[in-house]
Amino acid sequence: MRRRGTRGGTALPAALAALVVATALVAAVTELARVETLLAEQRQRTSSALAAADGCLADVVAAVPAGWDFAPALAGPDGVAGTADDGTLAAPAGCTATARAAPGPAAPARMLATVTGTANGGRRVVDAVVGRAADPGAPALVWLGAAPAPGAVAGTAALDGTDPTALLAAPYASLATPAPAAAVDAWLAAEGAHVSATGGTAPARTAPSPPVAALGARLAALGAGAAGALPPAGTLPGGTARVAGDLAVLAPFTGAGVLFVDGVLDIHAAFDFSGLVITSGPTRVAAGASLSVAGALWAAGGLDVAGTLAVRLQRAAIDDVDARIGLPRLAVVSGVRDLP
Amino acid sequence: MGIVELLVGTMLALLVLAALTATVATGARLLAVAGARGEVEDTAELALETFLFDARRAGWDPGAAGVAPLVVAAPDAVTFAADLDGDRVVDATSEEQTGWVCARAAQRVSRVVGRQSLPIADGVPACGFRYFDATGAAIAVPAAGLDAPGRARVAAVALDVTLAATGLRGTTARTARVALRRPP
Repeated sequence: MRRRGTRGGTALPAALAALVVATALVAAVTELARVETLLAEQRQRTSSALAAADGCLADVVAAVPAGWDFAPALAGPDGVAGTADDGTLAAPAGCTATARAAPGPAAPARMLATVTGTANGGRRVVDAVVGRAADPGAPALVWLGAAPAPGAVAGTAALDGTDPTALLAAPYASLATPAPAAAVDAWLAAEGAHVSATGGTAPARTAPSPPVAALGARLAALGAGAAGALPPAGTLPGGTARVAGDLAVLAPFTGAGVLFVDGVLDIHAAFDFSGLVITSGPTRVAAGASLSVAGALWAAGGLDVAGTLAVRLQRAAIDDVDARIGLPRLAVVSGVRDLP
Repeated sequence: MGIVELLVGTMLALLVLAALTATVATGARLLAVAGARGEVEDTAELALETFLFDARRAGWDPGAAGVAPLVVAAPDAVTFAADLDGDRVVDATSEEQTGWVCARAAQRVSRVVGRQSLPIADGVPACGFRYFDATGAAIAVPAAGLDAPGRARVAAVALDVTLAATGLRGTTARTARVALRRPP
């Protein structure tokens, strides 16, 4: 009788051993893939969070009021220093932001901001040095305190943000308002041919309102004179004028320097100015009248142009005003570092 | 069992074993290649993330001391400065001065923190730095590096790095371009 099952063989043990090794290899490859996937996910999270923190920082800094220093921002939402909300900055959803005074000398004006951004499950913290921009103002040819009203320009508005005497300098934006860029673009599209800008002019931008109250106080402290005492347009250096209340221009007017109207500027004639025209109330140009500015127009109360408005950049005139009274500037990020 | 049966059985067993061995060997090679690829990709990412970290904070100057972001700007080396503690002084022996060096002969990228050199990656057949002005145009850099006026023109720095790993045919190339922040 033949006995079965007692014959020795190597194929089965070898195959089983190979299967075990192959299984171990598959497990190792699977684990490797899992670890790499986890690493990639972590990198994606941290990248998303860093982008969110950077975006938040940009939003927070863009919302800092234009001015000279950062005392209002450091005082918090209530605007009163020494209270519990000091250093709290308004931040968009998904991030937080705080501010503190920068070390060292007071000048140049600056503050430190810490922003925490979260996105996609990640979290990043960014520290930033926030200073004031080099260019005064928005910088824009027309700086408004609110979104322009539909049909605000029934006449024509011609804007030229380039200065042929300063070709290397960046062009000015046509318009700056606190309204979102999309709303300003929509307004410009709706105004159609009533508003035109030369090719070199920078696009309209979003900026906080011009600080007209502080500017008015500044001019009052400097002893600004009457509008009629200003030298004619094109004169450098120009003068400094402040009108306490409305100003109606019923006859041709010319001036240079800075004209601050603490009320409505109502123009019914030819108004030719070089430098900076600042109005706290509406700026109205009646049909048949014209407002021509070589410099910039800061109209906190908005525009109502039935006649002709022409604003072209003249940096020398703006620089003259800046040297004379010290113009406000937007906040900008001048340094950043990632915190662990 | 006859001799013929025995021979056929042996041949079949050998074929099966050979197939299994080949499968296991292929799996082992796959594991090795995947591991090497993962490692080189991780190293490249780590290099870029660290470079971004250093370049982003270059010129950090909370005390308004006039800290220049670049101390050295050469084709194969860059050194960043930052006043991290806000004492208005950049301590060159601390992490306030951080450099990157592409040692082409050694095929190595190193990060130099203060006076301590830390290798970031080995097996680097190509590595270098490029510099751009405010308009985005590349700045020609002499071998000795940019002088102070030249460094003041730099608005962005790029790191180009290529990594190779033993056993891998292809290389991994990465580029990071970082804008420098300067006071207005």
